[in-house]
Amino acid sequence: MELQLGLRSLPTYNFIENFDLNNDGFEPKDQMLGSKPWISCEDGNNMDSKRSSEVAFGKNTRYASRELPLLLWSGQPNDEDDWNGEKKISCSINKNGEEENRVEGWPPINSWRKKVLHHDQDQARHVMNSSRMTAAGNYENGDGSNSKYVKVKMEGVAITRKIDLRLYNSYQTLTKSLTSMFAKCQNLGNDAARYSLTYQDKDGDWLVAGDVPWQSFMESVQRLKIVRNAG
Amino acid sequence: MGPNPKMRKEFFDSTRSSPFPDEVLERVLSLLKSHKDRSAVSLVCKDWYNAESWSRAHVFIGNCYSVSPEIVARRFPRVKSVTLKGKPRFSDFNLVPENWGADVHPWLVVFAAKYPFLEELRLKRMAVSDESLEFLAINFPNFKVLSLLSCDGFSTDGLAAIATHCKNLTQLDIQENGIDDKSGSWLSCFPENFTSLEVLNFANLNTDVNFDALERLVSRCKSLKVLKASKSISLEHLQRLLVCAPQLIELGTGSLMPELTACQYAQLENAFNQLKNLSTLSGLWEASAPYLPLLYPACTNLTFLNLSYAFLQSHELESLLCQCPHLRRLWVLDTVGDKGLEAVGSNCPLLEELRVFPADPFDEEVIHGVTEAGLLAVSYGCRRLHYVLYFCRQMTNAAVATIVQNCPDFTHFRLCIMNPGQPDYLTNKPMDEAFGAVVRTCTKLQRLSVSGLLTDLTFEYIGQYAKNLETLSVAFAGSSDRGMQCMLEGCPKLRKLEIRDCPFGNAALLSGLEKYESMRSLWMSACNVTMNGCRLLAREMPRLNVEVMKDDGSDDSQADKVYVYRSVVGPRRDAPPCVLTLSEVDEASRCDGSPTNQNPSRYELPSWPHAPCRTGLRWAGFSSLRNLFVVNAWEHCVS
Repeated sequence: MELQLGLRSLPTYNFIENFDLNNDGFEPKDQMLGSKPWISCEDGNNMDSKRSSEVAFGKNTRYASRELPLLLWSGQPNDEDDWNGEKKISCSINKNGEEENRVEGWPPINSWRKKVLHHDQDQARHVMNSSRMTAAGNYENGDGSNSKYVKVKMEGVAITRKIDLRLYNSYQTLTKSLTSMFAKCQNLGNDAARYSLTYQDKDGDWLVAGDVPWQSFMESVQRLKIVRNAG
Repeated sequence: MGPNPKMRKEFFDSTRSSPFPDEVLERVLSLLKSHKDRSAVSLVCKDWYNAESWSRAHVFIGNCYSVSPEIVARRFPRVKSVTLKGKPRFSDFNLVPENWGADVHPWLVVFAAKYPFLEELRLKRMAVSDESLEFLAINFPNFKVLSLLSCDGFSTDGLAAIATHCKNLTQLDIQENGIDDKSGSWLSCFPENFTSLEVLNFANLNTDVNFDALERLVSRCKSLKVLKASKSISLEHLQRLLVCAPQLIELGTGSLMPELTACQYAQLENAFNQLKNLSTLSGLWEASAPYLPLLYPACTNLTFLNLSYAFLQSHELESLLCQCPHLRRLWVLDTVGDKGLEAVGSNCPLLEELRVFPADPFDEEVIHGVTEAGLLAVSYGCRRLHYVLYFCRQMTNAAVATIVQNCPDFTHFRLCIMNPGQPDYLTNKPMDEAFGAVVRTCTKLQRLSVSGLLTDLTFEYIGQYAKNLETLSVAFAGSSDRGMQCMLEGCPKLRKLEIRDCPFGNAALLSGLEKYESMRSLWMSACNVTMNGCRLLAREMPRLNVEVMKDDGSDDSQADKVYVYRSVVGPRRDAPPCVLTLSEVDEASRCDGSPTNQNPSRYELPSWPHAPCRTGLRWAGFSSLRNLFVVNAWEHCVS
């Protein structure tokens, strides 16, 4: 059962199809970010809402098409006749498609390092999974560099996060950490007591966190969701 | 013992040649190593120019297209060592097409004729083929040192040729290349009587090498100081290698995947115990917690620890750092988090360089990694820090200001806030004041990479304060042409400027006319520069090469990627179809019948000695093949 949030979830990979930066209309979801944090600008120049939206969604902007006209604010237009207040960013897609939804060449990590990290992460996860399955008495006892990443979504927040549950050893530390992360990032300044932490277990059921011992929780949790308490 | 007054008079009499024989002068000058010193020396007078040319054993060419191998060979007849750099740096991030150029082969052909006794070749971002490697291996009997960094176009077959034929090889250093890793058999090509190797770095490669051959090689090369193994080398293998080579100064381990028996673990512990001279440790692929303590005994004298491929947690890092009291350089992944960086601050008082790489750079949902808190913690503990490369997901102006206050000696400040155009996350203001603080406080700053939400104010600050800045990287920043103008009008020592995705247009590009000849190169991609702007630049500045690459499907008038660099040899002739070399296009498109500047005398030759030209820089071209005083042009072209 898919838990429905009050807001439409961000279609992360088809983002651009729903969102034409050349139009003035925006999906209502971007209103959910609270105060658009990136509008204000010291020198008094105006950043129009298109820019703020582009910046606001910079993290989640995926370029599904080859060439994406993006509006970047510019204080003064060029003299050139081909400058008409818009700027095209051509983001050519990586030929093998693995990074098709990203800004080309950003962040600036060199290609070899990227390849190695990508491969090593897969390896690490594979090792972690297989060692969990064998559960033999060898050096690999499950702590140390093993990690367990789960997605965390908060009601009212467009952007999903991911955290490594192995960094925590109790519900208390987990919720404390989540509170500070979400409050800080979203400027929502909410009282944590008004929210509950729920999780989806291996069977796909959504349960309230805290009912089972931490270890059992760790073994069965697949993803987390922070929901507002009713009333 | 005062100077002989007569000799002194003669010495200062500029019409006489030097009072001591050329051989003496050459001998003295041969002690100069720095190429900048040598450049200065060569400008003193004709005799010194000649003596310096004859005594130069190592030549550094920062841009392979700024000069030709023939000119190099004519100027410096006795070179033994060459360093050559090719593609623009943004090729590391896939912004440059693969067939762009920078082929080393034409250089090798000339060197085979002119420098048959060449000993060392260090290439960075060059296109290198297997044929070239084989050519190199066969034609230079004294060849000793090969270093390939970020090159591409070759495979392990080329390495096999090197191993087979280079009887005097002392260094084989293969790093971060786009290499076609076909098989590990190249390593077995070193002859059994080959013993001269001092440096072997094959960390770049993944295919299995014949371990017995490697073990024998390491055993018989008694001078081996540097061994950086690839991931294919297991812990068991490592143990056997270390037993053969306890004298190692730099070690790159293979994979630290857990798979040892207790007995093997103890043996490896012993082996690491023997490594008393180790100053650099790297590799550590797939490092896992239980095996890190193995490294501890070898860490006592470590000055450089490269953990950038090890997914460590903060406590693992801390335990390791406690063992390294003399650490000066540290590279880590951001999996260690701010907590890990606090440990750095607490345990590494001598730290001078810190690089923090992102483990998950492309997963925007992940919130681990490091923040401003981490770097702040380091700055409080490591006051000698002067080099930082920091990938993070949030930063504040206040933090950066404090960081540079703590560590005012930064020479290299490379901050990458990974979300393009992200402001100070606490105040929501642009990051202008952060970089303002950096350039104001760090007067020795040579290299700067900026990121985050930045207006023209950042560039006003940079132009005003960054007096020693040589390399500047800018992305997703700036408000208008003014930003780029500030950079070009300030920054007197600027040599390399690379810009992407900024709203800088033709006015900005053309404001640097006077500047580009004093720089190595300018890169601008995804900005607002047009073809007309580039053509104008090319027309106004014939001694610059202006190259444009267009993206698929982009507007005809847009100049998507622009690369501008000074050169004494004019536009290159090996540009692939996707690269437009504008000087030629410009000339070809002239339809009014006016004579184009195609003859060699397009480059005016001031007579020797001559007055500084407009940029204040002494620039000379050459007007005929006879007169080769490319002195000043040369120095600045290749630096």
